[in-house]
Amino acid sequence: MNAKLTSLAAALCLASVTSTQALADYPEKKIDLIVGYAAGGGTDVMARTVAPFLEEYLGNDATVVVKNMPGASGQIGVTAVAQADPDGYTIGTYNLPGMMARTLDRDADYSADSFSYLANVVNDPNVIVTPKGSDIDTMDELVDAAQERDGAVTVSMSSLGGDDHFFLIRLSEATDAEYTIVPFSGSAPARSALMGGHVTMGIINLSEVVNFRDEFNVLGIATEERSDLLKGVPTFSEQGYDLINGSLRGFIAPAGLPEDVESSLITAFEKTYEDPEFQEAMLKSGNPVNLTTGEGFEALNAEQLELAERVWNTSPWK
Amino acid sequence: MYGSLIDALPAVLSLGNFAAVVIGVIAGICIGALPGLSATMAVSVLIPFTFGMDPLIALGMMAGIYNGAMYGGSIPAVLLRIPGTPAAVATSFDGYPMAQQGKGGYALQVSVVSSAIGGIASAIVLMLLAPPLAKVTLLFGPSEVFWVAVFGLSAIVFLLGGDVLKGLMSACFGVFVSLIGLDTISGFDRYTFGHLELLDGINIVVLLVGLYALPPAIALLEEVIDVDTSTAGKLNTVSIWKAIPSMLRFWKTWLRSAVIGVFVGILPGAGGSMGAFLSYNEARRASHNPDNWGKGEPEGVAASETSNNADTASALIPALTLGIPGTAVAAVMLGGLLIHGLQPGPMLFRDNPDIVFGFMWQFLFAAILLIILGGALATNSFAQVLRLPRPLLGAFIITLVLVGVYSINGRMFDVYLMLGFGLIGYFMDKLKFPLPPVVLGLILGSLAEQNLRLALRIGGGEWGVLTASTTSQVIIAMILLVVLMPLISRVLRRNKPQPSTS
Repeated sequence: MNAKLTSLAAALCLASVTSTQALADYPEKKIDLIVGYAAGGGTDVMARTVAPFLEEYLGNDATVVVKNMPGASGQIGVTAVAQADPDGYTIGTYNLPGMMARTLDRDADYSADSFSYLANVVNDPNVIVTPKGSDIDTMDELVDAAQERDGAVTVSMSSLGGDDHFFLIRLSEATDAEYTIVPFSGSAPARSALMGGHVTMGIINLSEVVNFRDEFNVLGIATEERSDLLKGVPTFSEQGYDLINGSLRGFIAPAGLPEDVESSLITAFEKTYEDPEFQEAMLKSGNPVNLTTGEGFEALNAEQLELAERVWNTSPWK
Repeated sequence: MYGSLIDALPAVLSLGNFAAVVIGVIAGICIGALPGLSATMAVSVLIPFTFGMDPLIALGMMAGIYNGAMYGGSIPAVLLRIPGTPAAVATSFDGYPMAQQGKGGYALQVSVVSSAIGGIASAIVLMLLAPPLAKVTLLFGPSEVFWVAVFGLSAIVFLLGGDVLKGLMSACFGVFVSLIGLDTISGFDRYTFGHLELLDGINIVVLLVGLYALPPAIALLEEVIDVDTSTAGKLNTVSIWKAIPSMLRFWKTWLRSAVIGVFVGILPGAGGSMGAFLSYNEARRASHNPDNWGKGEPEGVAASETSNNADTASALIPALTLGIPGTAVAAVMLGGLLIHGLQPGPMLFRDNPDIVFGFMWQFLFAAILLIILGGALATNSFAQVLRLPRPLLGAFIITLVLVGVYSINGRMFDVYLMLGFGLIGYFMDKLKFPLPPVVLGLILGSLAEQNLRLALRIGGGEWGVLTASTTSQVIIAMILLVVLMPLISRVLRRNKPQPSTS
């Protein structure tokens, strides 16, 4: 660990020395945008939607090339970004809480300090849904059913150690009940088991329910305020449960990015976010956008890591 | 709904969109025919390029590639006993013996006609029955999918070959490989030895290419003395239009295999390889001369090829309506839709009818084009490959395979893995271990295991949950029927002569 830190520090120094003269007019060559998932997934679509706007707002005839490095639920790609040269020519996509959870449940070659946090773009809150034909269509009914007998309520989820899992653990604390986790591999099979009524309830994300509004009862949404995308669905706070949680997707670069490069990237993300065309494109692909940049994003990451650590210490998922 | 189907037709027939389908089919046949390149890979490579394209052009190319590749895989399966795609494994059972008997051309013609029929049936089902069949998909929860996997595994019995013990060892090897990777239910890694590359499990193409393509390629290199290749390139084919009438006797197999393929397509997680295995078995069971199977029975080629094309469009039924892809290719295609802002779900049919129904038409045209493009052009030109000197052909296949496997995830790790499987495959070949049980074990082993455990979790540990639903009971009845039928018929056959003698 110590050797790692020293080498990191050395790399930082080196980077700051070399960068000052070289990066007067960034970018002067193509920028690789590493996506840790296969082409066509949610994160990939976000990256490909952002890329042309980033090119436009970085100016200087910038080219952003999306590179897919799928595998190990994003870990291979994010590790590659952490280990890349911090020169602004390698940036990558980032998912929370997944990327921080991996530092706890696996041997990860990166940590929260390995990155420059550029911009979090998507915040996809959790929702609780039950199948349309289910007797349970309010939080009170759900909590009654769950408290009646431990494990009586089965919950379909997309994976272990993801945002839905953390949400469930918080729900379990808030409602003082035990739930039975049924982890599928991926959100589509989890949702189909739910639609077929094979499980009692599901924890999914807002973006996954918008197009299936008629097939589900949506019991609540884990945001501070109601969402425009799901009109008439109350938040959990309104119903007396302090539950705010979701899946976050954004962009990072290796730690030790030269300051001017970091600020021009962040500015480009801010301008992208304000572009109505971008907002429309993200809405079309079902991504609820919410921008947090730089230090705000870093704080968000720390918050997510803390939550993950708390969950890992009290109820480890493996 | 059917009105929108007609409304979508003119756009599909416009020059650009139609050309996209034609190009897709040709590209698909070539990709399928090259061992190591699969439809899943071709579509995922295509996706980034479609970002700036008109959606119908992009989708048309995908539909063409999918259909083309499913047929293309049978070309090397027949000519070289190297399945070009996982779904073509069952095609090689009878296709290769036919080629050895000098009937390779006919085998390919049967294959292309059957593929087209499977594809057409599937496209029509997608067009007319998508919403009701989507409800069928929802009937299949973990316990039902578990039984489907068991049903598929029961097919291993027929694939064991002469030596039962060796066959079972092969099957166990396949199941073992399927267990490698992250166990999504407990969160623990299995046999990954700390390699992140192994966490997602072993891609079937890596295993298939290692076991199936490398050993024959090495065998080609081992034959130093050049055999007479001048006749090998002649497939003794008549024109496809003259060959079709002689195939009409396969109509029962076509029908049965199309139904099996469509059904497997709408099930989540199964896919074309399983459909091909199942329908090969069913066709053999129904046949009058099951002993000829595996020795060059054209009906076996028909069964396998009809079914692996029949799941193409049907896999899109749950994908488009529910967002649940039926096969790996459909999963990648969903990504292609998402890129164009087309989100799967009931809303898709209301908001973008032109594109959704246009996409369905493209599947139909792609299947029809298979006969013309695949039958008339590809079959004969690919047969010329056999004329190449054998060492050259072997080296060519090995090169292709290395490039193909590297490009799945763009990493050398998979290439080394494939070479390892190649070594295993080489010795399995020499020691006469059958390969099909490995493939089936890999496809179905973890599918059965994961779903069994999910089902038991849902049932709170009660085994009764496995037989609780009507759907489960129906599948169990089918399994019993298939497994017990040979026994019963043997008993009946033994009893029959008795009344006449007494």
